[in-house]
Amino acid sequence: MTLAQVVLELALVVTTMLVTATLVFVGPRRLVAAVRGYRWRLEACLLPIAALGVVLALRWSTRDVVLRLERRVVGHNITHTLFALEQRLLGETPVVLLQSIQTEALTEFFVFIYIYGYAFLLLFPIVAYFALEEMEELSTLLLAFTANYGIGLVCYMLFIAYGPRNFDPLVFEPLLYDAFPQSRTLTNQVNQNTNVFPSLHTSLSMTVFFLAWLTRDRYPLWVPLSGFLAISVALSTMYLGIHWFLDVVAGTVLALISVYIGVNYTVDGIVSTGRRYLARRFDRIGKPGSE
Amino acid sequence: MEDVGSPTTRRRVLAGTATGITGSLAGCTERLWSRAESPGPDQVSLTIKAVPADDDIIAAKIASQLRENFETAGIDATFEPIAKAELHRNVLLEGDYDVFVARHAGIDEYDALRGLLHSRYATEAGWQNPFQFSDVTADDLLETQLTTADEDRDRVLSELFDHLTETVPYTTVAFPSRIGAVGATLSETVSGPPYQPIDYLEILSEPPDEGPQDRPLEVGVFGEALTSRMNPIVVDSNQIPALLALLYDPLVYRTDDGAIPWLAEDVEWDGGSLLEARVTLRDDQRWHDGESLDAEDVAFTHRFLRDTSLGETESGVPAPQYRGQQSLAESVEAVDSRTVEFSLRTTNRETAIRAFQVPVLPAHVWEPRSTVVGERQTEALVHDNEEPVGSGLFELEAVTDDTEVELVPFTDHALYDADDGPSVVEEFPQFDGIRFVVAPNSGAVVDLLEEEEIDLTGTPLPADETGRVSDLPGRSVLTEQTDEFYMIGYNSHHEQLGNPHFRRLLSRLLDRDHAAAELLDGFAEPARSLSSLFGVRESELTDEETELTAFPGSDGEVDAEEARSLFEAENYRYEDGALLE
Repeated sequence: MTLAQVVLELALVVTTMLVTATLVFVGPRRLVAAVRGYRWRLEACLLPIAALGVVLALRWSTRDVVLRLERRVVGHNITHTLFALEQRLLGETPVVLLQSIQTEALTEFFVFIYIYGYAFLLLFPIVAYFALEEMEELSTLLLAFTANYGIGLVCYMLFIAYGPRNFDPLVFEPLLYDAFPQSRTLTNQVNQNTNVFPSLHTSLSMTVFFLAWLTRDRYPLWVPLSGFLAISVALSTMYLGIHWFLDVVAGTVLALISVYIGVNYTVDGIVSTGRRYLARRFDRIGKPGSE
Repeated sequence: MEDVGSPTTRRRVLAGTATGITGSLAGCTERLWSRAESPGPDQVSLTIKAVPADDDIIAAKIASQLRENFETAGIDATFEPIAKAELHRNVLLEGDYDVFVARHAGIDEYDALRGLLHSRYATEAGWQNPFQFSDVTADDLLETQLTTADEDRDRVLSELFDHLTETVPYTTVAFPSRIGAVGATLSETVSGPPYQPIDYLEILSEPPDEGPQDRPLEVGVFGEALTSRMNPIVVDSNQIPALLALLYDPLVYRTDDGAIPWLAEDVEWDGGSLLEARVTLRDDQRWHDGESLDAEDVAFTHRFLRDTSLGETESGVPAPQYRGQQSLAESVEAVDSRTVEFSLRTTNRETAIRAFQVPVLPAHVWEPRSTVVGERQTEALVHDNEEPVGSGLFELEAVTDDTEVELVPFTDHALYDADDGPSVVEEFPQFDGIRFVVAPNSGAVVDLLEEEEIDLTGTPLPADETGRVSDLPGRSVLTEQTDEFYMIGYNSHHEQLGNPHFRRLLSRLLDRDHAAAELLDGFAEPARSLSSLFGVRESELTDEETELTAFPGSDGEVDAEEARSLFEAENYRYEDGALLE
């Protein structure tokens, strides 16, 4: 399957899921209202959208530079540390335990969750929050996503780590790529196999779940569903041999930090703080005899 | 005064206490000092580097098994997966490793060991002596084999292998079979998975059942960053197998059926003790950019490989590849535009031919790249060479970043449509070039084969894909024993690894028979004989077994007690099961 085919299939499946979920959770009436008022809604969260766009564009455009920096200049190879630490703390890495209960049905379930469930989990709240009366939730979500990607990028530059399947093929099985080799075509576009610590799959999913909890009075039923999906995504990354348990732990911590940032700051606030700070500095430099 | 003897005043108590504390502290600090000054021996610790399972699952398996076995023997062992280009950088350029596991392209002739092991190359970067091994006896024998022949040379080589079993700069695990797969169109014409450039030339010269095709041959490959560098003389990159060799012609191809003169039309041998060769180039050869290829390019290539700075630096910056071959030529002179004279350092033609196998580079492209850009670094060694100008039967048509590389036949080549060319390429080309399709992993390559997107595979497949391929109608699995081998290399500059006894013991800690059967799924020949332990698969030399293959354990598992007694016999000590430095 070529990249286009994989993407098309992904788009079809996820769109179906999105449409169904929107009809169930949001309802047609709210949806129609949201579509009618799309203009002010977009305007209201223009800044967070722009911020997310900038970080994603940065991530995309600096791939080669970051890879070179990571591998040759600043990166520390922590693969063995992750493995040894898990063994010391827990006796056995949770990946081994998870893979020991392997069945064909479970593998199919987790592959589905890892690819389609994850994409749905990230996209649906954007639709759902867009349909609300205020854009506060959507702005929070977008800023939290931005924080995830931004901090994740820095971590990836600092740490070189390979996932379990790459570390020890005698112990860990590469279940994802055995069951669905084409998925690598997809993940290759966005990720390197050394970008493992922390797990962005986990952190973004958990971010969605934590925000679902915070906005439970708006979409009460979304809490258990997003919780189920987020935990399944976290488990799937380990079951499929892609991430270590510590990557998932670090991903959850990153989610907490991102949600904290999303809730307590706004892009507007960050930008104006930055501007004030710069203005003060330039001011000082500008004044003669000040230094 | 009765008060004199009065026992305790407050001051005295204090003083006494103080003295006591100081005294006991002194004892304590003395202990601390002595511990700080001469800490006890630490556990021996080794980091094993190899590519991750994504790139080569066999290397990763061997490295994992090795780590486990080292640990059982009491060594603090760590496995560090590292991308291929970076592994080569660490091991071949920077000497930044303890132990590595890698797939070596094979020893084409005994003389290749000279490049790998001679101490003259210990300070050079690249595949020349990456172990920093320096041993006078080995040096002597490696020099002597150049100028001895027949039984004398065999004796020298036997002695060399005997000596290597004592010193073990590296060791071979097994010789893997190359596994490939082919689709229905070619299943009748292709017998083995392509490996050398000559294999591709053969495939493109063999008429398919349906007659000549006006489409390119589609070849599926996989790996990381395969298309980013097209530089034929660097080692720190990952490249599509055989691709660069198809673009850059050598003077002579060496095949199992003998040498095939390629850029050279004819080689005349001469000389009494040391060989001299007069090489005549084929008439009217051109580079892919249209410039004419002449004898000066050949002379330049040898000069350039010896020193890519072309005299700019005092000690020279040799190329990290082909130095073993290039160093066989004492001098290379262009006599006229079609004639090159080689003075060689050997008396064996078989050995001398190696000097003709280096890819010939166009002087007009590479000469400007001799600029020194850093410490022991010239532009030629950092350049990506995105637009390779070679003289091969193929020229580069297009590279789509990380997805495709397209080669088209070079119609100006002297052997294109030639009547008097080598028989291999008599009917070249039956396809309109070659298109390498880059997939993200082996599973995706087999998918391409299933969807008839490719004709055959170009990167060796892992053994567990063979099941899937044979289930597909019309597709077949290709296997072929090659000279490639999995090696374990040791860094002689490491504190413990500098000790040959230690290296010898480590080399016994892998069950080669078990590795070939289990880690390589039976698609391999384990190294057993003296010469095969150093990468020479077939040899007429003595076939005696050595203690290097005596594994202290069974079924791949090291027996801790047995291993321990081996190390203790060499005067190593253990504490709590840890092997001490």
